[in-house]
Amino acid sequence: MSRIFNSLYVSMQEEHLTEILDLNEKTQEYGLVLTLKDVQCMIAARSQVLYGYGRVELGIEVTKEFIEEFSKSSFIQQENYVDALNELHEIFYYLKNETEDKIGDMKLVHKMKEVFENDCEGSLDLLKSRLEEYAEEFRRQLMKESFLEGEDENWDLKI
Amino acid sequence: MGSENLNEKGELYIQGGIRKSQLHRNQYTISLMNAGLRAGFLSSHEMLRIQNVFMQILQELINRYTQGESTSVTTETAENILTSIMYASDAYLYSFDEPEKALTYLKTIDVRRIYERGVEKVSQCFIETKQLYKEIMANKLEIPVVAYNMTIDESLPVFLRKYGIIFDAHNTMASIDYPLAIDDMQLQGVFYMKQYMERLKMETEFCSLFDQKELLELLVHYGRECRFNYRIELFNIYELMLNNAIFSILSGGEGDEVRISESQYKRLEQQFMSLTESQIRSVISDAMISLQQKLALHSQLKEYMNGYKENLVQRVANAAKHNSLRTIIITEREEGSKSLVLKFTEKDRMSDIQLRKLLHQIMACKRKEEKVKLILSNFQFFHDYLDMLESDCLYGDEYVALFHAFGDMELAILGKIVFYEELRSETLDLSSILLLENEHQIEWQLRFVQCLQQMNRERIQAIGNYMNEMEFEQMNFY
Repeated sequence: MSRIFNSLYVSMQEEHLTEILDLNEKTQEYGLVLTLKDVQCMIAARSQVLYGYGRVELGIEVTKEFIEEFSKSSFIQQENYVDALNELHEIFYYLKNETEDKIGDMKLVHKMKEVFENDCEGSLDLLKSRLEEYAEEFRRQLMKESFLEGEDENWDLKI
Repeated sequence: MGSENLNEKGELYIQGGIRKSQLHRNQYTISLMNAGLRAGFLSSHEMLRIQNVFMQILQELINRYTQGESTSVTTETAENILTSIMYASDAYLYSFDEPEKALTYLKTIDVRRIYERGVEKVSQCFIETKQLYKEIMANKLEIPVVAYNMTIDESLPVFLRKYGIIFDAHNTMASIDYPLAIDDMQLQGVFYMKQYMERLKMETEFCSLFDQKELLELLVHYGRECRFNYRIELFNIYELMLNNAIFSILSGGEGDEVRISESQYKRLEQQFMSLTESQIRSVISDAMISLQQKLALHSQLKEYMNGYKENLVQRVANAAKHNSLRTIIITEREEGSKSLVLKFTEKDRMSDIQLRKLLHQIMACKRKEEKVKLILSNFQFFHDYLDMLESDCLYGDEYVALFHAFGDMELAILGKIVFYEELRSETLDLSSILLLENEHQIEWQLRFVQCLQQMNRERIQAIGNYMNEMEFEQMNFY
């Protein structure tokens, strides 16, 4: 089964590269541009993170959303652009696991952006630690909820 | 078909053809594609294209699974969904008798259509399985065998309720305890369940051809022969009935009878002891044909029965060699003449509220003598005693005090429960059971054993005698 997944990644990567490079048109106005090599490195890092957290993602929507959302931030500069994107992927998939897939992708990306801009003032380390606390609280609520009412799949913490 | 050659990897393949029997029934599509690639039916480019379509389907299903909320899932979930997709594809491609034809479909027809047709096949199978369940329910045997009843009343409905054609098609999703005479565990998901129910239906149909009183008696005799409580053991009823019907024919009885008297048994024993394995095979085959004719069985049931024949031949040959035919030929075993009649009336049990109140009172007593007195004056029925013992309301030597207050009869009843496994062996009596180093996990049982171990030989002998006179069918605890 894993062979099939791998072959898919290979065949889809071409398509993903083009989609991401196309976003340069939008991010250029914030002074941010990704080269082909940057994108290749980022996709490789993302695959590594997914593998590390035991997750599978066949689309590239989350990466695109990160680029679109975070490129608007005044805390992101061309020098730290790729590193920031890699770090954001790492935090994102960590949170997906820690919140047991109970928070939708877009909600989570926007939550990350909001905390990054306001609480953390552009510090990725701080963002990571804030979101770790957030995930812990989320799980506590989840346990409390399932203890009181049994399994409830529709439960969602307000973010 | 074609000649055999070695490909570049040195693997053997059949030139011009792929044998269906050499492909895996589970993961059929993958096995078919790999065989096609090796045999040159499929190019690696085509293989990649097919794989990509499966992945696109996976991507869409992940989206459906997360209700559009997430594009990533855990590896476990993704693998599960992909296995479900491949299960549907297998369902369609396996329906072609020739693997080459299935490969041609994979190459030329949109893979999506193959998947969709597979889903239709799985759905159709699920509908048929539901129908089978209704028929099984309507013709269910009236027998007090827990595994049989639980499987039909609880496990099968759980499967029908939980089965998911899209995300979980390969999952069998039911804990089935009741064993079939012939089971094919290679199948998965709804195809396994359909097969299980078809066979269960046939087995039930066969058992219904006999007098139900005889069936119930056979179960009792079987329990006595094996020295166990047949209600809670896992065994196949059809096998038991079929064996005895065949033995009935072989010993001069009728085909629709399952009773074997002692004199019939002697005749069979004499016969089997003098036969070779192939002769045993021959007489069993003849008896099976005769039984099929007498009962006017339909072809499916005949085929199923024939599939079991070799198993019976081996068992009889083996038992004849080891002088243990009584374990296969179940004869009418009379109860011991001194058997005790015990009353375990369910309806006289304490209510939950009464019981809880009493347990509370027992726990509130400070001295063990008070506790014992309270128990002896308030508990009358055996089930209530068991509930009390299992409620952990006593500690350490309080158990000892209670057991010492019991008479031999009460201790013998508890002994039948605590030493259930050990009593299966005919050679063990109570004193030798007490010498075994068995670890009892439940506290009251541990204390009970310790208490007996401290008693004198005469008392143990008296309790052991009571235990021997007691039959499990008199003790319905469940």
